Amino acid sequence: MKTEIYNRLMAMQASRRNVLKGAAAGAAALGATGTLGSLSSAFAQDSLRAQILKIPGVGQGSPGDAEWQKVGELCLGGTKETVQEGEFNGVELTFMGLNNQNLHNFLFRGFLKPWEAYTGATINWIDLAQADYNPRLQQSIATGTVDFDIIEMGAPFEGDTAGKGLLNEMPDWVPGLIDADDLVGYLQAPVGTWDGKPYRITIDGDCHTFAYRTDYFGDGSITGRAEPPTSWEEVNAISKELIGKTDPLTGLPAHGYLDPLKGWGGFGFYFLENRAAAYAKHPDDPAWLFDPDTMKPRVNNPGWVQAIQDVLDLIAAEGSYPADQINADPGTTAFQQFLAGTGSMLMWWGDVGSNARTSDTSVVGDVVGFGINPGANRVYNSQTGAWEETYNEAPNMAYIGWGVYVTNRVEGDSLKRKAAWSAAAHLGGKDLSLWASAYPSGFQPYRNSHFQFDEWEAAGYDRDFIEDYLGSNRDSYNHPNAAIEPRIPGIFQYYSVAEDELAKGYAGQYAGAQETADAIAAAWEKITDQIGRESQIKLYKASLGM
Amino acid sequence: MPAAITKEGDQLHIVGADDLPESRKRTGRWLLIAVSAFLVGLFVLQALFRAGATDIGFQNWRPVLYMFVVWGIALGVAQVLMRGELGKRALFVLPAALFVASMVVFPLLFGLTLSFSNWNLSSLEGRSFNGLDNIRQMWGDPFYWNALKNMVYYVVAVSAEYAIAFGLALLLSAEIRARKFFRVVFLLPLMLSPVAVSWMVGKSMMEVRFGPLANLARFLGWEQPAFFSNPEIARATIMIMDAWTFIPFMMIMLLAGLQALPKDILEAAKVDGASAWQTFWRITFPLMLPVSVTALLIRIIFKLKLADIIINVTAGGPGGGTDSVTSFIFREYRDRSNVGYGTLLAMVYLVLIVIFMLVLLNVIGRVMRRQDQGAP
Repeated sequence: MKTEIYNRLMAMQASRRNVLKGAAAGAAALGATGTLGSLSSAFAQDSLRAQILKIPGVGQGSPGDAEWQKVGELCLGGTKETVQEGEFNGVELTFMGLNNQNLHNFLFRGFLKPWEAYTGATINWIDLAQADYNPRLQQSIATGTVDFDIIEMGAPFEGDTAGKGLLNEMPDWVPGLIDADDLVGYLQAPVGTWDGKPYRITIDGDCHTFAYRTDYFGDGSITGRAEPPTSWEEVNAISKELIGKTDPLTGLPAHGYLDPLKGWGGFGFYFLENRAAAYAKHPDDPAWLFDPDTMKPRVNNPGWVQAIQDVLDLIAAEGSYPADQINADPGTTAFQQFLAGTGSMLMWWGDVGSNARTSDTSVVGDVVGFGINPGANRVYNSQTGAWEETYNEAPNMAYIGWGVYVTNRVEGDSLKRKAAWSAAAHLGGKDLSLWASAYPSGFQPYRNSHFQFDEWEAAGYDRDFIEDYLGSNRDSYNHPNAAIEPRIPGIFQYYSVAEDELAKGYAGQYAGAQETADAIAAAWEKITDQIGRESQIKLYKASLGM
Repeated sequence: MPAAITKEGDQLHIVGADDLPESRKRTGRWLLIAVSAFLVGLFVLQALFRAGATDIGFQNWRPVLYMFVVWGIALGVAQVLMRGELGKRALFVLPAALFVASMVVFPLLFGLTLSFSNWNLSSLEGRSFNGLDNIRQMWGDPFYWNALKNMVYYVVAVSAEYAIAFGLALLLSAEIRARKFFRVVFLLPLMLSPVAVSWMVGKSMMEVRFGPLANLARFLGWEQPAFFSNPEIARATIMIMDAWTFIPFMMIMLLAGLQALPKDILEAAKVDGASAWQTFWRITFPLMLPVSVTALLIRIIFKLKLADIIINVTAGGPGGGTDSVTSFIFREYRDRSNVGYGTLLAMVYLVLIVIFMLVLLNVIGRVMRRQDQGAP
């Protein structure tokens, strides 16, 4: 679980405790007693999952190394089934991962300490800040100095690693051990596989969900609409209708959807993708960014152009965006605008929902709702080259989430290979992952079993929030037309250059949406040629499972 | 006293050539030849190994580096053997010269090699020589030319910064109340990291909705105080933030210059009845020219490296309106892993800077010489 989500939940727990303390509120106290009763019975369950969810216990503060080790110890069952005690004596492994918010590698250390004690292997650690991660990985690959056996890595980099033969194929005994079938739909193959071979033990999931202000919708609301929009056409219409109106919460000018118009190191492109996915991700075609046979960009096809045009339309409609929107990156739209009460609709990762009530600058905690990426009333079919007048939804699986991979350094040493995969499988185990989803870890739920809301409720979480927030994630993950990120080498190069061209288009330096899209396509063609068209075609197809 | 050392007066010792035996010189020569040959041989062997032309070689270049150190030591020994006292004299300079060569010259040569390479870190093929392709790409790259154009604006803005800095320096050199306090206060922005300035000023104080500077602008009648909404305003805002950080730097240099001015000339001007303006324009300003030139040159060099504020606040936008060459290279190199092209852009920029500074120094030198000649 992301730290912010945990904090947000803890804030809700705190408010529940405050209710309990109100002795005068007899009815509330009785109700609360009932809740506690069910809590106690849940904790009394003699199951491993219930047991680990008690470490340290919901509302008992953030867990630390002692708790991580305890959870790691309790979840050693899979390891004990497949590895003899002391079997890896003398084996030394190097693990490269992140140190964001003192999570990631810090947790892995704790989880793996009992594993090290049992198996006899030792692990050396390479901790990296997020900003250093990509350059370090790329330089290691480019200079042939891969010095790690296990790596925590996002799926978008599979093209850079698996595509170059740097990863070790997952042994047959691992998928069953980690119950890989339990992964949500979009994290199943082809994600984590290359040329049909599995390489990834998933430990996280990512997608963009739709956050909206509930006070903008319903009877008597300023939009006059009962429900939040379900299409981007509606989103734009609402954004224009709101011009000149006043925000019911802040008393300041009301605004609709908040497009980030400034680049964000490549990550800003995900936000145009949200719109474009609805128009250009056809359910019958897994590809939507490039033509898989030629790597010809689709970013300038009518579907994508419509998405850019939607943004240009809002830029032209003075007052639909807050002033200075041209200088707003995704961080600004989420944390300085939406959470601060500016704007009513937003696409983002899970952090927005979790920060809504816990962030000091947030004023929208009580008026925020979630849904999946809006659809479009027509979808462009690249195969036929024509629009189809049918409603289309395509949630954007932006970044796909973290996984653990083993590098080809272990090849030729069967014991070391087994040790590396055993360590990775321990981190991606089904029960351990539930704990990581429920407590601060840096990871979001990503298994179907993580969405058993009864388990969360029994552990002491607020059911309404869990259903609303996690439900939007679950529905996006399992959507049959989810827009999956292409896991090809240099994918962020494409995004980065697209941001530069979009910035020019948004600033009016191109004649319109088509010319902007054509400029992006031309820049993408250059990158493809530089990286190698034939290899990109092969890798793109592999990443799509074609 | 050795024959090679002569004595001039009481202090000066001039080291001359020793009368060294031929065998010693020959030993030195052979030592140098042998170690040099070994170094070159090792280098060639390793290069062939890396190119896959031979199976004999090392895992990495480290042994070649160690050999270079050995070669450096052998070079020193050979100098002494071949040239005696003169060789010993060379030992004072050799380590520094070799250090500079290895830390500056080699990386520069390596950089030049990269500049003419097609090397995208994501490419499966790795690095390959691509001749003048990168230069051709640069020639047709509107983002690079746009960034260069912006740099012209940014550099021109230094003149305004100089005028303000000079004014502040004059103020702080005058007999005013709390002079020392103001000197410290005016220096504070220089102590701030440009990254901090970006966030504090650019992202917070200028935030349209609740930023205090935005509120002040609104109070003064600017209805929608968006500091980064169009290229011109955004560029001007970046210039102001950068100027706010670095004006104190010029100011402190100019202040030091002002305090070093000979007081007698200023007093003589006063006695002769010169007005304040005449004193400034005829005496202070000309006398301050050398300090001014130094301050301007250093400031321009700083300005040409401008990137941090831009990267943090506008990312080069809107529409490239604030992009600097360095911020563009940063995106090309870091975000797009385009090592070859990014290095070429940096190399070209280095050459442009060197040419610009040489021309600038030449022009300033001529102006100052003409002024000296014109002086009574």
